[in-house]
Amino acid sequence: MTPRIMAHATTVSSRPRAAVTAGTRHRVDFATLGRTPLRLGLGSRRITSRELEIVEAADELLTVEIPDTPTAAGSDGEGGGPPSLLRGFQATIPSADKGRTRRRQTRNVEAPRMGMKRMSMGARGLMVEDAGAEGEGESEEDVVVVGKRGERERGKRGRKKRGRESLSAQKVFGREELERQTSEIKRDKENLHVRRSLIHNDIAEITHKIEALDIIRTKLEEDLLKLHEDDLELDDELEMVRERLELEESRTRGTKGSKGAAQVPPHLPPSRRRKGPAFLPSEHDELPPGMAFMTLECGSSPIAALDFSEPYGTLVTATQDDAQPRVWDLLSGEEIGRLRGHTGAVKAVQVEDAVCLTGSADGTVRVWDLRRVDAEADEWEHGMVHLSDVIEEAEEGEGEGEGVVVDASVAGSGAVRQGASKEEEDGPCVRVLEGHSKAVTAMYFEDETLVTGASDKTLRQWDLNTGQCVMTMDILWALSHPPSVPPGGALPGHLFSGAAAAAGAFAVPTPPYADGSWEMYQDFVGAVQFWGYALVSGSGDGAVRMWDMRTGQAHRTLLGHTGPVTCLQFDEIHVVSGSLDKSIRIWDLRTGGIFETVKYDHAVTSLQFDSRKIVSAAGENGVKVYNRTSMQHSTLLTNGHTKPVEKLSYMDRYLVSGARDAMVKIWAL
Amino acid sequence: MAVDVPYAADAEVSLSFDELQVLRTQYEREVAQSHVTTQTKFNFAWGLVKSPVREHQVEGVRILQDIYRSEPARRRECLYYIALGYYKMGNYEDAKNFNGLLLDKEPANLQAQSLGTLIEQGVSREGYIGMALAGGAAAIGTLLVATLVRRAARK
Repeated sequence: MTPRIMAHATTVSSRPRAAVTAGTRHRVDFATLGRTPLRLGLGSRRITSRELEIVEAADELLTVEIPDTPTAAGSDGEGGGPPSLLRGFQATIPSADKGRTRRRQTRNVEAPRMGMKRMSMGARGLMVEDAGAEGEGESEEDVVVVGKRGERERGKRGRKKRGRESLSAQKVFGREELERQTSEIKRDKENLHVRRSLIHNDIAEITHKIEALDIIRTKLEEDLLKLHEDDLELDDELEMVRERLELEESRTRGTKGSKGAAQVPPHLPPSRRRKGPAFLPSEHDELPPGMAFMTLECGSSPIAALDFSEPYGTLVTATQDDAQPRVWDLLSGEEIGRLRGHTGAVKAVQVEDAVCLTGSADGTVRVWDLRRVDAEADEWEHGMVHLSDVIEEAEEGEGEGEGVVVDASVAGSGAVRQGASKEEEDGPCVRVLEGHSKAVTAMYFEDETLVTGASDKTLRQWDLNTGQCVMTMDILWALSHPPSVPPGGALPGHLFSGAAAAAGAFAVPTPPYADGSWEMYQDFVGAVQFWGYALVSGSGDGAVRMWDMRTGQAHRTLLGHTGPVTCLQFDEIHVVSGSLDKSIRIWDLRTGGIFETVKYDHAVTSLQFDSRKIVSAAGENGVKVYNRTSMQHSTLLTNGHTKPVEKLSYMDRYLVSGARDAMVKIWAL
Repeated sequence: MAVDVPYAADAEVSLSFDELQVLRTQYEREVAQSHVTTQTKFNFAWGLVKSPVREHQVEGVRILQDIYRSEPARRRECLYYIALGYYKMGNYEDAKNFNGLLLDKEPANLQAQSLGTLIEQGVSREGYIGMALAGGAAAIGTLLVATLVRRAARK
């Protein structure tokens, strides 16, 4: 009712002016009024949703832009844009074929029905069915017309006896008909042309669409990979959070029985080596990834070993030919002090919380309490002349006795030191473990157990509480008495330098680094790691051996590397080893088969991995990161090292790398 | 620059039912394959617009709007066809808008111009009807008022 009332109202107001010029406004008003009878149901018509849809859409579409069409070249539309819609319509509607069928029928000869179709189908062995509707768009009128003509034709000729004449001779078309046919044929040809170009356009369109869809598909696959990575990361996090939960629960339970004795090395929490998520200062997230944000100068010779307790915690570095590792505070980037005590270059370092273990070329392993390094630094500064330091070390070298004796080097500094009586507690060095006859080149400790590997080709297991060597495992013995060869496994004869290993000194030239330098690699045991009583060692004969620490026997040897193994790590599923043969191999822990081999351009000297990536030092200035889910390599170069990277270690997103330029750089992963 | 479109008279001639059916099956077959070519859409829409049944016309205009939305290259032609569809349906305002757009782009288009005049005629026809209605309503109104006044005067 509303339109009518409204219209009425407007007409009332405009009636005086109605007689005057009928402006558009009035016309529209009247038009609205004129429409109302229709609307109000002259012929009960429902306003369907479709109508509303198009009415609403109309407004929206009016605002849409119309691009300029390219100039169409005439009517054939071949050179210019695609044929117009109407042209296409005329070409493709079923009645377009009318002319053709009509012409064909005019050429049909009225011969007595021979049943050719049945004959042919029978000849092909098909069942003959009743003829169904043939073709589309045969309009009735045409059929009738031709038929009549045909009949008429026949009628004219009458009962003339038909000899064996050719079919075509009978028909007479007449000029008009023929001209009509020619023009029809021409039009049909044009139609064909139009349809061809339509199809070409369609094909081009579809090709574009396929390309676009392909691009979308690759993007989606990349997204899938990323999600997979995130999934693995979350799995790791979950595991670590669970461990931490247990840890904290056990701590609250065990507060009563905690051992707080100062003499014993601080009670170590369960290994946090495979740790994450680490607790980082909030600013760490703002650091740009892939760029070294801190650099520490550690002396003048290449870094030989490094390890840190936790991100932004304490770092211990050791350089070649330097017997005194440096201790750094990662929060400030300052050197806290040095660990004095060794007489030979330190070759292996491991730090857990405030405990540090170092293995050196003098064949000993020292246990240090890093909390005491501050104190020592202070006291050293108080008027100690450097000369006396040198004398100090010389005295130590001679005075190093047998047995487990707490290092008294600090205590023996002379007059200044009053605490000479407190031998055992003074200084950061808590304990010295002796037993190896040659340089200790690899070690790993967890809780109260330590395993070391040395150039005397043995592995020793130590108890850190008592400082005693619990077991010695002889690699040479394992070499000459290999465990039963698994079926299909490589024979020991494949070891590239088995003979050399059995001989005396072990020295192999390393393949040149990226800067061309090389040196003699003399560490027979490149790396060790254990978990529970399962021990894995990588040695100079290129073999990765798995030992049982209860029996001291190697029960499995993983062969594959053709150069000494320099670094090694394992988790529940994989063992990853890197070697001087420029490759990193990923082994299956349970079966011993190789999962993957990652090749590099230079020898691999250090690696660490988790479920998503392997970070390695591969003889170049950049730290190599290999993404395990996407199988992509990347390099950390920005503000990076100027000489090949030697050692590295990371926790969660905090990476520490040391190179031959004696620099240690910290990266945010 | 000129688009090749038929005169409005062509829209009054409708296709036979069979032909429309064929176009419909073609369209639906392609929809089932989920790739409808513009030509099929247009064929079907044009066939619908030509029919005298209003529902068909509405459906035809809807499909034409689809083409308009999805194919920028075809928009100019579609302007004409949509205007024609609206004209047949009786939505003179929308028809005028679309036709106006087309004339903006191509002032020399004969068919568009002729469609424009047709729309104007339709609008004025409605206007006359409206005026007649209004006049009639006014007459009845005056009569009523007069009767009331007379009755009141008598009393």
